[in-house]
Amino acid sequence: MSEAPLVSIKNLHANAGDTPILKGIDLELRAGEVHAIMGPNGSGKSTLSNVLVGKPGYEVTQGEVSFKGEDLTAMDPEIRARAGVFLAFQYPVEIPGVANNYFLRTAVNAVREYRGLDELDAIDFLTFLKEKMKLVEMPEDMMSRAINEGFSGGEKKRNEILQMLLLEPSFCILDETDSGLDIDALRIVANGVNQMRSPDRAMLVITHYQRLLDYIVPDHVHVLSGGRIVKSGDKSLALELEEKGYGWIDGVEEEGADS
Amino acid sequence: MSAFVDAVSRARAGLSERAADVPSPALASRLEALRSDGLAAFDERGLPTRRDERWKGTKTARLNDLSFDRVGPAEHVDESILDDPRVAGFEADLLFVDGRLARASANRSDLPPGVRVLSLAEAATEIPEFVTENLGGLVDPKTDAIAALNAGLFEDLAVVTLDPNTRPGRVIRILSLSTGADDAPSASFARLLVVAGAGSEGMVVFESATVGDAPGFTSVVSEFHVAENAKIVSAELQSGSAARVHVSQTRASLERDARFASHVLCLSEGLVRSEVEAAMLAPGGMAGLYGLFLGQDASHHDHFTTVEHAAPHCESDEEYRGVLADRSSGVFRGRVLVRPDAQKTDARQSNPNLLLSEGASIDTKPQLEIYADDVKASHGSTIGQLDDEALFFLRARGIGESTARLVLTRGFAQTFVEGLFDDSARALVAGRLDEALGRLETTLQNAPTEPGA
Repeated sequence: MSEAPLVSIKNLHANAGDTPILKGIDLELRAGEVHAIMGPNGSGKSTLSNVLVGKPGYEVTQGEVSFKGEDLTAMDPEIRARAGVFLAFQYPVEIPGVANNYFLRTAVNAVREYRGLDELDAIDFLTFLKEKMKLVEMPEDMMSRAINEGFSGGEKKRNEILQMLLLEPSFCILDETDSGLDIDALRIVANGVNQMRSPDRAMLVITHYQRLLDYIVPDHVHVLSGGRIVKSGDKSLALELEEKGYGWIDGVEEEGADS
Repeated sequence: MSAFVDAVSRARAGLSERAADVPSPALASRLEALRSDGLAAFDERGLPTRRDERWKGTKTARLNDLSFDRVGPAEHVDESILDDPRVAGFEADLLFVDGRLARASANRSDLPPGVRVLSLAEAATEIPEFVTENLGGLVDPKTDAIAALNAGLFEDLAVVTLDPNTRPGRVIRILSLSTGADDAPSASFARLLVVAGAGSEGMVVFESATVGDAPGFTSVVSEFHVAENAKIVSAELQSGSAARVHVSQTRASLERDARFASHVLCLSEGLVRSEVEAAMLAPGGMAGLYGLFLGQDASHHDHFTTVEHAAPHCESDEEYRGVLADRSSGVFRGRVLVRPDAQKTDARQSNPNLLLSEGASIDTKPQLEIYADDVKASHGSTIGQLDDEALFFLRARGIGESTARLVLTRGFAQTFVEGLFDDSARALVAGRLDEALGRLETTLQNAPTEPGA
């Protein structure tokens, strides 16, 4: 593949608040690829995902991130989302009073407008929504409820994947989407994610556990430690980590706390 | 002397004989007594000041400095008012302009027998005894100068009566508009009387609004008599220009097993004083007091509520939500009075507030006066800003920041909208609310945020 990478991260340094967390990350994702990032707690996995989507409180101090050839760090979060960057949050927020279906339609139409597509009216949106809801086995009554309010952990994660299916991003980041899920919920979520795999889309799957990678099989696996990628390999690396933990890898600063 | 009191004196000098065309002598004398007692009480008390315990949350100086040139409608009512979108879109059973009936709707013919929605003139002919018996029964002019003034100067009246075990089958709607121009400020006195017979059920939407800037003063006094096992829902929609002072005073009395819910939506841009007082006089009563107020610019909202538990085994539920923007200020005082006999009372109260600007303020004060010993009472108030986690979440889904802020503010208000158990009322309230929030675009862009809980 000689095409330019979809996402190119070069020497990325970033702070969370005043604390330096990322200390020089280099990573390229080409369209069609799935990359997994694993690493012990505190290695910077969540900071990386937050920096990529432009969360306030995270500051890029050095290096660059380009997305489709453009400087991602210069864009506001909503512009990144419209341009095709999506983060499935580790801890999705609850927003009382804002109905899920209203929120989803507002988001879908904001994204469509940016991409030069017609706004979906209520009927067209509903058809589109129902089709995607089936993929994550989401009951209809969850649509009229407030965003994530009273949802179980698994329902929240399914709602995240539903948003991803609806917004059709080209760069999907999944931040520990598997944490706290039982096997059935994991299967549903993974199924939704696999629906999104396509030759023109890249995915960054951040996880603690190899288990998720049985369902979402990565092309590349990276180990993040101390704010740097200390080892990269193919999917067999994940299995090795599962078996041996992180301690054997040169440059890992601490033992994997959760494995 | 205050400008307001001067204006009242001038208005009284110009009053003509008003009770002359009331055919029932009993009602005529009741009206006469109400008016003269009202004026006497106003003279006695004078305008409320902040030294008055009940009124200390209101910026009464604004009231004091207010003047008006006329009470009631202008000599020539501008017919174009009837084209106002509020009038056209509201399909009111009764439309009042500056306190006088301007139009009664033919739609009233679809009301079932035993359900009446009448102006004073109609009620004086059809049901004079009802009016004589109930009008003014829940408002003691001696306790409040503005209620007294309303009794003294009101000209017309909306009367809603439900015979025992009747239901209107649809929402009853009453619209009251205030007019006026910069060079001709006005005062309007509107009045609503609802008498719900045993076992009846109905909902009344009363909207009070100004046409254009309409500077001046609006007073609304509403009385709800809710008999045994009856259920009445009141939705009161208030909006008004920055130049208007609006005082709304609602009183409800509940008999055995009666239920009353009051939903107050207050979008006024000027000074507002809104009182809701519900008294449960017999066991089994349930009162719900709900409010949503939106302050902007330099508006001032004073919400003063009283729930009186006078009998055992009654329940009250209260939630007032405040959204304060710009330099606006809000006051919520929730008085819960549990009398010695009112054992097994269950009273809940909450007052969440959302501050959208550094310069906005809210003063919130529950006031529990409990004289019985077997009582469950809870209260709580919160003051917060937009949640920055939620804001970021919406932006991360492609929603622009100013829209996201609007969505969150709207979300804060949604509990109130959902509390209305009627689709048409909900749609009406949502429409008014969205219109008002639309004015806040600039404010919302600059609204501070805080980390989520």
